[in-house]
Amino acid sequence: MLRITGGKIYDPANGIDGQVKDLCVDDTGTIVSSVDGGRTIDASGMIIFPGGVDVHTHVAGGAINFARAMTPEDHRRTQAFIRTQSRRSGLGGMAPTTFATGYLYAGMGFTTVNEAAVPVLSARHTHEELADIPIVDKATLTLMANNEIMLDQMEAGEYERAKNVVAWYIWAAKSYGVKAVNPGGVAAWKWGSDAKQLTDPIDGYNSLTPGKIVTMLATICDDLGLPHPMHLHCNNLGAPGNISTTIDTLKHLEGHRAHIAHSQYHAYGGDDWDTMCSATVQLAEYFNTHPNITTDAGAVLFGDTVTITADGPWQHLLYKLTGRKWGNLDVENETGCGIVPYTYRPSNLVNAVQWASGLELMLLIRNPWQVFLSTDHPNGGCFWRYPEIIQLLMCADFRSECIKTLPDRIKSKITLPEIDREYTLYEVATSMSAGPARALGLTRKGNLGIGCDADIVIYEEEDDVARMFSHPRYVIKGGEVVIEDGDIRETPEGREFLVKPSCAPETDEFMRPLFEDCYTMSFENYPVEFERIENPNMQECVNASEK
Amino acid sequence: MTCTLGEVKQRADFIVYWGGNPAECHPRHFTKYTIMQKSKFLPRGRKDRTMVMVDIRETKSAKAANIFLQVKPGKDFELITILRALIKDQQVGDEQIAETGLTREALDDLVQRMKSCKFGCFFFGMGLSMTRGKHMNSAALLTLAAEMNAFTKFVAMPMRGHGNVTGADVIMRWQTGYPFGITFNRGYPRYNPGEFSTVDVLVRGDCDAAFIIGADPGATMPQPAINHLKRIPTICLDPHVTHTSKLARVHITTAAQGISAPGTAYRMDEIPMPLKPALKSPYPTDEEVVRRINEAIAQKPFWLPEGSQPQMISTQV
Ligand SMILES: [Zn+2]
Repeated sequence: MLRITGGKIYDPANGIDGQVKDLCVDDTGTIVSSVDGGRTIDASGMIIFPGGVDVHTHVAGGAINFARAMTPEDHRRTQAFIRTQSRRSGLGGMAPTTFATGYLYAGMGFTTVNEAAVPVLSARHTHEELADIPIVDKATLTLMANNEIMLDQMEAGEYERAKNVVAWYIWAAKSYGVKAVNPGGVAAWKWGSDAKQLTDPIDGYNSLTPGKIVTMLATICDDLGLPHPMHLHCNNLGAPGNISTTIDTLKHLEGHRAHIAHSQYHAYGGDDWDTMCSATVQLAEYFNTHPNITTDAGAVLFGDTVTITADGPWQHLLYKLTGRKWGNLDVENETGCGIVPYTYRPSNLVNAVQWASGLELMLLIRNPWQVFLSTDHPNGGCFWRYPEIIQLLMCADFRSECIKTLPDRIKSKITLPEIDREYTLYEVATSMSAGPARALGLTRKGNLGIGCDADIVIYEEEDDVARMFSHPRYVIKGGEVVIEDGDIRETPEGREFLVKPSCAPETDEFMRPLFEDCYTMSFENYPVEFERIENPNMQECVNASEK
Repeated sequence: MTCTLGEVKQRADFIVYWGGNPAECHPRHFTKYTIMQKSKFLPRGRKDRTMVMVDIRETKSAKAANIFLQVKPGKDFELITILRALIKDQQVGDEQIAETGLTREALDDLVQRMKSCKFGCFFFGMGLSMTRGKHMNSAALLTLAAEMNAFTKFVAMPMRGHGNVTGADVIMRWQTGYPFGITFNRGYPRYNPGEFSTVDVLVRGDCDAAFIIGADPGATMPQPAINHLKRIPTICLDPHVTHTSKLARVHITTAAQGISAPGTAYRMDEIPMPLKPALKSPYPTDEEVVRRINEAIAQKPFWLPEGSQPQMISTQV
């Protein structure tokens, strides 16, 4: 039991904007109206947020684990966590090890993370890694848009079957929702080409286009009543002039819910690398007039990172641009993924445009319930650098100082210098916690109301915003004080959120022959057993008809 | 730059085995995953695929290949470098080619075939990764495969050893950032294969106890390492009597993985496969034994006083 008194509370889910109020937590880790006894934390003069929620990150599974293998030099120069009786050792850096991932997220006040790309075949691996990430609660999304079994049904116009296939995969992979990457594009990449136009049939199909896949998959997610809508990584990631593809894609989503991943990488104008510029004004305008869609920034920070994405074509492009180490991992029948160590430099005009675009989107999209803090970790920068982004959002002066370090030629390519908006604490709390929790459909997260999970961050107010957000005074997860005065006190296991969408019983028999034809794994061996999930937490699907 | 075996089965029309002997070491590999398979894209199976074998001697696998290239021992790196030049139409001298033991015609033909396939795949075996310049060789082959993507789709994949070597490798990577050759003697993981690998630690006599699961170093390691295992308390978990179990101070008989103990095995392409036991064993599983040992250790006072070490250091020493 816990009582937190005297703090200024920022709880956007309940419209609370800095009012001083007590918070009480019961023995089950739930926020309640009053408690008798237990510890009291005096938070007078301090700032209280709901625990951070990362809507899009890559922290577990084959790809990030491959990235770890490719960056031993980085492990050696990064911070190290030392083993104690209650804590495991680990390494931070560009691709932190599992235990360190939990400590680092909790250390900056984040208590829920969404692993945004799980290939169907390696779901079992991803869950084993997630079980080794302590403290934070987790959800996973299954990669679907390039699944040949599903695409074949879409091509044949068998909507119900396609829907059952999606539902079957979600439960077989024990995941929380659907991620669509570069619809139609990854399948084509397997033959070395790419799907660029939304209305051209994709390689190997007669009539199925990326646009049709987008619309159908969004409809399927809505019809299955998934708590989180389709999570979409648009086609043409990272390419100059891709804004037209992005806007085109968004038009295919009219009337549906959707979450657009890392929009920064999809908001460029120009025709080539020389003329590439920010097109965030156009994209932000679309979001401002379409409240049905949310997005995360996918912001870029200058410095070293390693890029991993299920977007093979983009990785190949990066490799051609940089000539650096390239790792490509194609997962049979589903999707691919590539890995390239990368350094974003302010002196590089393309990188400077990317840096500005991420911030522009967060500042130009007016409603913080629609745009969330992310770097697409580790692609645009490591998650433990989020406080640097918060500082850039909250301090216009600091932003102008940073803009001064960019090449002169940048001026005609970006809008950032003309923006004077500064995030308030209330808006920061929305963008890093309440908003992403709502988009994920996690009703007990990002919310300090009665009955919600007691995931609470307490900051000592100070002028140095980046310092304040990277060193919370207390972090409370499910009612337990996990971080206090910069020390890790407790390392409870996190939960995993799962859904079981309804699926026609005959789907098993329909899938079996197709599955065995496509994969080198027997059908019985494939589904991840429910018992293998550590601390599973079932979330409800709400069918469209009941809404 | 790699892919899963399913991709190879479905799409690879050009397969190069480099320094491995899959016909004898991985007997099911040919039939289950690679050259013998028919697929949607390659309906005639073996007839639709070209197989090349690069090795220092003509093994049983070489006989199954369409083309066998016998490279001089220790010249793999040179050969890969030459191929990297040839695919980009760069000049390569006759002496350089002669050094590898191959002819210019053979290499030109190989390059032409590599470029004209639809989906190429290199499998590299122990022969490549365990010889002189081991890391360099596999890195060079991965680069060659990456560069081939300027012309067509090409991937590369290691052929790993037996047992669940891949599984150990995968888990060590997510827990410590490194695949093997790791020490925790400063409280956090550090990596140096020539120094911290089991065999090096044993030969130097650096450790004062050994705990061995699912391996038989008593049969394979050099004599000085075995002698040290005999000197120190060695604990061995194994379903069978092995060389190691005989020299160990303690041998705990455990249930055999996959036969009577459940778990997960990682295939060499890192795809996890569930192990579903068919039989019940009277013996505990490895996992259970380790868990009980851990619980017993947790009862003892920690070896360092509380607070005597930092929780985290920002720069490693
Ligand atoms: Zn991502």
